[in-house]
Amino acid sequence: MNKWLKIVLILAAVGIVAAILVYKFYINKPHKDIENAKADFKLKAEVLYNEYVTDKATADLKYNGKIIELSGNLSETEIADTLVVATFVYKQGDFGDEGIRCTMLPKFNEETKKIASGTEIKIKGFCAGFNDIDVILEKASLVKD
Amino acid sequence: MKNIVKIAIVLLMISGSVFGQKYITKNGKITFFSDAPSEKIEGHNNQVNTAMDISTGDFVFKVLMKSFEFENALMQEHFNENYVESDKFPNATFKGKVTNLTEINFTKNGKYKAMVEGDLTIHGVTKKVKQTGTFEIKDGKILTNAKFSIAIKDYNIKIPNTVLKNIAENVDITVNVSLDKLK
Repeated sequence: MNKWLKIVLILAAVGIVAAILVYKFYINKPHKDIENAKADFKLKAEVLYNEYVTDKATADLKYNGKIIELSGNLSETEIADTLVVATFVYKQGDFGDEGIRCTMLPKFNEETKKIASGTEIKIKGFCAGFNDIDVILEKASLVKD
Repeated sequence: MKNIVKIAIVLLMISGSVFGQKYITKNGKITFFSDAPSEKIEGHNNQVNTAMDISTGDFVFKVLMKSFEFENALMQEHFNENYVESDKFPNATFKGKVTNLTEINFTKNGKYKAMVEGDLTIHGVTKKVKQTGTFEIKDGKILTNAKFSIAIKDYNIKIPNTVLKNIAENVDITVNVSLDKLK
């Protein structure tokens, strides 16, 4: 085979592999697997809420966008359309119950609905921040020891 | 004595009409849609806190930027890191009033046109906005629906030249909120 043709074919093959890798691992990379990711912080739900209420700016920098494992007594579980939200309530304010709201990953919906109010649970999720009323945890999962 | 009783009854009626007039939700939906020549980008947020006081018309939205979900993880990353800079500006808010309160009968099922105006804060920039939407009163619930467009440059959001074709100059915002009476 012509030497130049060989080089061109090799370069083309390398180019195609590179393009596939860039597409798979960069452009079309999957969302972070929050359920199986290691928690950046493990703390009591009430402690997290109090940190946000006392000093939002500091807590925003510390916790927003991080994976957090909370422990505490479940206040109640709310169902909003297809979402199941586990709540820890610490205050009554303009928006009624205020505290921490954890939107469950769909695979934990049924299990979460069965947990009685007051039960001590561990829950892990992505912290979206504090909207001046509640701390929001997204893609939450129940953690078993 | 009779007068005191009368005054007490009137006061109770007034307080009764003022209290219990607040409607809220913590699961309002906001969709963000950018329709640019080379790419369509859609983000959803189902965790929007909304409150409305039907006696005063006060209307509040509280949105966490990190709660927006995109189909593509890279889009979500760019949205948070490069455009809305959600680490620096985690919250977006709207504080305003329903200006045609008298035209809406909150006790009667039906669809009403609602005019809302107030301050919209995104990316640390506050702008006055005036929008029209629909309020549907349905069995004690208020279903609000609005669709409007915002120019991203008004909110100091800079789009790098390299991705200019991927992001629209004006993005469409759709709001769907079902408010329940605060117990």
